[in-house]
Amino acid sequence: MQKEECRSKIRLPLLPLLAMATPPVLFFCVLVGAVPLNLRDWHSPAMQAIIMLRVGRIVCGFMVGAGLACSGVVLQALLRNPLADPYVLGVSSGAALGAAAAIILGLGGMWTIPLCAFAGAIAVLAMVLFLACRGGIANIYGLLLSGIIVGSICSSVLMLIISIAPMEGLHNITWWMLGNLQVRSFPLLAAGSIFVASGFVFIRLMARQLNALALGREMAHYLGVPTGAFILGAVALATLTTAAAVAMAGLIGFVGLIIPHLMRLLTGPDHQRLVPASALAGGLFLVICDTAARTILAPVEIPVGVITALIGGPFFLVLMRRRSGGWFG
Amino acid sequence: MSSAFEMRRVNAGYDGGQVLAGINFAAGEGEMIAILGPNGAGKTTLFRVLSGLLRPLSGQVFIGGGEVQKMSAARRSRLLAVVPQEIRTQMAFTVGEMVMMGRATVLPPWRHPSPEDRKIVEHALVYADVNELSGRPFDYLSGGEKQRVLIAMALAQEPRIILMDEPTTHLDANHALEIMQIVERLNREHQLTVLMTSHDLNLAAEFCRRLILLDHGRIVADGIPTEVLREETLQKVYHCEMRVQTDISTGMLYVRPCARHAPAGGTAANVLAVKEKIHVIAGGGSGVEVFRHLVFNNFQDVTCGVLNERDTDAQVCDALGIQTVLEKPFSPIGIEACRQAEKMAARADVLIVCEVPFGPGNTINLQLAENALKRGASVLINDVNLQERDYSDNKEAAIMIKQMLSQGALPWRSLHELRPMLLRSCGVFKNEGS
Repeated sequence: MQKEECRSKIRLPLLPLLAMATPPVLFFCVLVGAVPLNLRDWHSPAMQAIIMLRVGRIVCGFMVGAGLACSGVVLQALLRNPLADPYVLGVSSGAALGAAAAIILGLGGMWTIPLCAFAGAIAVLAMVLFLACRGGIANIYGLLLSGIIVGSICSSVLMLIISIAPMEGLHNITWWMLGNLQVRSFPLLAAGSIFVASGFVFIRLMARQLNALALGREMAHYLGVPTGAFILGAVALATLTTAAAVAMAGLIGFVGLIIPHLMRLLTGPDHQRLVPASALAGGLFLVICDTAARTILAPVEIPVGVITALIGGPFFLVLMRRRSGGWFG
Repeated sequence: MSSAFEMRRVNAGYDGGQVLAGINFAAGEGEMIAILGPNGAGKTTLFRVLSGLLRPLSGQVFIGGGEVQKMSAARRSRLLAVVPQEIRTQMAFTVGEMVMMGRATVLPPWRHPSPEDRKIVEHALVYADVNELSGRPFDYLSGGEKQRVLIAMALAQEPRIILMDEPTTHLDANHALEIMQIVERLNREHQLTVLMTSHDLNLAAEFCRRLILLDHGRIVADGIPTEVLREETLQKVYHCEMRVQTDISTGMLYVRPCARHAPAGGTAANVLAVKEKIHVIAGGGSGVEVFRHLVFNNFQDVTCGVLNERDTDAQVCDALGIQTVLEKPFSPIGIEACRQAEKMAARADVLIVCEVPFGPGNTINLQLAENALKRGASVLINDVNLQERDYSDNKEAAIMIKQMLSQGALPWRSLHELRPMLLRSCGVFKNEGS
């Protein structure tokens, strides 16, 4: 009983707290870096260039983190599986394959690699939906299974490409697969951000239906959710958001898995709070991890995916140990 | 009375094959109906079709005048709510959040629940008696509490029809009754049409004025309980012997399956068949315990009499297949019945007299015991409250009993005492000892 009361007390102020914490944290992360910022010099061209790069990188990190966390929330609710993350339907492998193909074929332009990654993700999504749907109705287990299998096939092809790739291409592929928030082009950043932002808005609009679906498909039907169309739409939306994030920054693991769990632990499972809280927390978490990645061993940069797992993993495990029950929620 | 829902020539099924065949029925507004039938009869499928979850292979389903399959999900959820048997979720929703879902799921996403919506949710919580649980996580509740929360969710939808899938299956008798009372009140006060499936024929007969019996996807019977719950029909549908009786104290129908007590072609391995013949003198329910004991312990030749027709003991004997001599209800035992009973008692090895009140009408039964004692049979007589239950002229019965006890009849006061006496009299102990 007491435990429950504690939890409901914690539930209330989290969303405003996160919203208030966001601007100062982001500002602080702009200041920190390999080159110390001197704000009095802000009008010098060198400083402006550095500030632009850092701001871009932070926006990129925030958007990618928010997008991954949101689609993690959606997929965990729809698939009713605590292991679900944005990559569970094979999107990561599809995107990686697309990017690797672009790199190997020498299409190394500013836009081509992200676009190929995006295209790879969409192709995998289309295939998974096609395999899992029968008469316009998606089967949840079918989705999960065909996602994993299509993903494995893509991974095998990727391995094949890697094994025959020349040294230089191999390095590029590896770098891409580890994830990197360095902004390659501002128009690309803008396009990706718009994608992720609209993904967030739509996912937030679906919050009540997601609540109903968390009680199971049948119950959602009784509560008035047109489940067939809704599940397809939500899966497509979550995957598109993920694909946009992957195109912006490569494969960054862990954010989409632990942030939704963490927020569910703190705010409760109501998606009307969970979606915005996860978006903010995912964004902040990735920005903080990235700041750590570029400062700890500066000027050497650690892949940000390494930091997300190193910071997030133990933190999450501690919380999980302290409160067990349900999905740690 | 307009129709709340209607199924017209509905065939339905899954990939594996057809489950429902030619279902045709309509329910008026405010009816309370139970769908009965054995496992696999199609009850769940019928619910799925009715709630629009399963598209029928052919035929049409109407609720509130519109066809279910063509209706928007939101409109459907305002006409018809379903209370499932149970739901599982790993997410720790509180009861309040869950019941609000019944209301808010179909609101446009930009609209907050209005004060009106909140009031409806509040009412639903109170009505289903889960108001005090509203801050607690659903997962931590007991089965009965969960069931009430599911009912509150359905109420928050403000539907015209509620479908309940075996609402009492997982509940103990007390909680089952509580749920049924909530539902009955809804039906009565809000004219809500209620359709429920149930395996509990008695509960269904008690609360529903209309029963529909399904078997192999077809409607076998549809009507008031006394029409539907007939022994012949039930036996055909459930493939076992069923007894339908009217409960003496409440007038309710009472249905129960009847196990065959002395299965043809052999007995249970651990129970010795007892060949000795037993005759029992009882009445007014005093013999129930004894009859059950005798039959379940495989006494193969048990007779009883004289009893009056419709006496509880007479009904029990009938149910257990004990041969009985009957006299007309509330009549003194006549000469003809007496002669028949004398024939039965004359062949008995043991005669048992139960704790039956004696009056001018039945004291003559004691004559059977006396005769048996004279020819050397064992006579076991219950002597509890002998004086108080003797209404015969001049305490004739008590005197006869005392006399018999002095002449070698054995007194007993409970089944516990009777059991060893019976075994000794029948020589079972002797057999076991040797």
